Amino acid sequence: MKQRDRFSAGFAGSRFNAVVAATLLALLAMAGAAPILAAQQQFQPPAGPTPRTSSGKVDFSGVWQKPYVPDLTKDGRDHKGLAELPFTPWGEAAWKKYDAAEGDYTGACLPFGMSRSVNTPEPMQIMQSDTYFAFLFEQNSWFTVAPIDGREHRKGIPTWFGDSVGHWEGDTLVIDTVNFNGRTRLDTIGHPHSDQLHLIQRFSRPDLGHISHEMIIDDPKTFTRQWKSTRTFTLRPDWEMMEYSCEENNKSLWEGRIKVPK
Amino acid sequence: MKTKHFMIGAGLVVALAQPLSAHHSFAAEFDASKTVTLTGTVTKLEWANPHIWVYLDVKDAQGSLQHWQCEGGPPNTLTRNGWSSNSLKPSDQITIDGVLAKDGSKTCNARLVKLPDGRSVFAGSSGGDNPTAPKPPQR
Repeated sequence: MKQRDRFSAGFAGSRFNAVVAATLLALLAMAGAAPILAAQQQFQPPAGPTPRTSSGKVDFSGVWQKPYVPDLTKDGRDHKGLAELPFTPWGEAAWKKYDAAEGDYTGACLPFGMSRSVNTPEPMQIMQSDTYFAFLFEQNSWFTVAPIDGREHRKGIPTWFGDSVGHWEGDTLVIDTVNFNGRTRLDTIGHPHSDQLHLIQRFSRPDLGHISHEMIIDDPKTFTRQWKSTRTFTLRPDWEMMEYSCEENNKSLWEGRIKVPK
Repeated sequence: MKTKHFMIGAGLVVALAQPLSAHHSFAAEFDASKTVTLTGTVTKLEWANPHIWVYLDVKDAQGSLQHWQCEGGPPNTLTRNGWSSNSLKPSDQITIDGVLAKDGSKTCNARLVKLPDGRSVFAGSSGGDNPTAPKPPQR
C-alpha cells in the first residue's frame, strides 16, 4: 500500500499537506523571512514485503519514526484519535482537575509511562527475539521489555511503565500491559488514567516500511468503555538511536518556570 | 476558499506555538499569545537535552544590553533536522521569533531563528513529524 493511501484515513492526505505547505510558505513570505521553509519531500521508507524471523514470525525490528501525539483526542498525520473520550465521573473529575502549571511529572524527567512514551516524537527502536519484544524509546533513553513466549503477567510492585507480556494473534503481535502505578498521564495534554489501566497494543507490519499500531485504552475507573488510538510508524533505516539525558540541562525546572507535581 | 486558507494558516501559527517537544507541557511555561522578536548577539549555545538553550544579548530601546535566553528543541531532533552544536556560535548576529515565558523573565521559546546568512530555521521540534524543517548551515 502506498504511503499516501495510508494517510488518507486521517487528514485529507496529500491535498491537505499541499495546502498547508503552500499556506505556510505564503505566511512566512509575508513575514519577510523568505526563503524559510522549503518543503521537503516526505521520507519514503524502503519498499518490500513484511520481514519475518527465522521462526516465521513477523519481525518488527528496526528504528521507527512515530507520529507525535500530544493529544489523543486529535487526529494528525499518521494518527487517528477519539474526539470525545468516554469519561466516568471519576475520569471527568480527574481531567478537569489537571493543570500542568501546577506541575507535571514529565517536566521533572520522571518516567513518561507506556502511552506517553509511544506518543513522543523521538523515534523508538524495536528489538525482537522469539522470547522478548523490547521497546527502546529515545525519549529519555528509556526502555521496557515484554516477554512474548506465552508467560503470564508478573505480580509485582506497580510501576510507571507497567508489566507487559505479548502474544500472537496470527501475524499481529498483541502487547498487553497492566500493573501501572497510576502516576502517569496518557498524553502531553494530560488526559488521565488510573492504576486500573489495562493497555493493549496491537502491532502489525503490512510491508517492510510500516507498522500499523493500535493502542486500546481499557480503564474502567476512568472510562466507561474501551477506546483506541491508531497510528502508523515509518521505518527509518537512515536513523540511529541517540542518547537523551533529560536531567542534564532541565533549566525550566531548576529556574522555577515549571514545577514538580505534588 | 481564501477564508479556508486563512483559517488553516492561522492554525499553523498556533501550531508552531504549541508544544515543541514531548518533554513537558508547553503551556505550563510559555504564553503562546505573547510573541517576541529578539535581534542580538549570541553569547552561548547550550547543546544539551532536554532542550537547547540559546543565550543572546539584545539592545533595548535605550541602547542598554539585555541578557536573554531562549529554549529550542531537543538536540536529537535538531540533529536529525540538520542542526549541530556549531550551528550557532558566540558573536553570531541572529533574530529569534518566539513566545515569552509566563514568569516575566527574559526567557523565550524560540520558534524561528534567522541565521547570520539570512535564512530562518525552525528551532523547535515536532520531531520527525516536522516535514518542513529547513537545514542550518554546516560548519
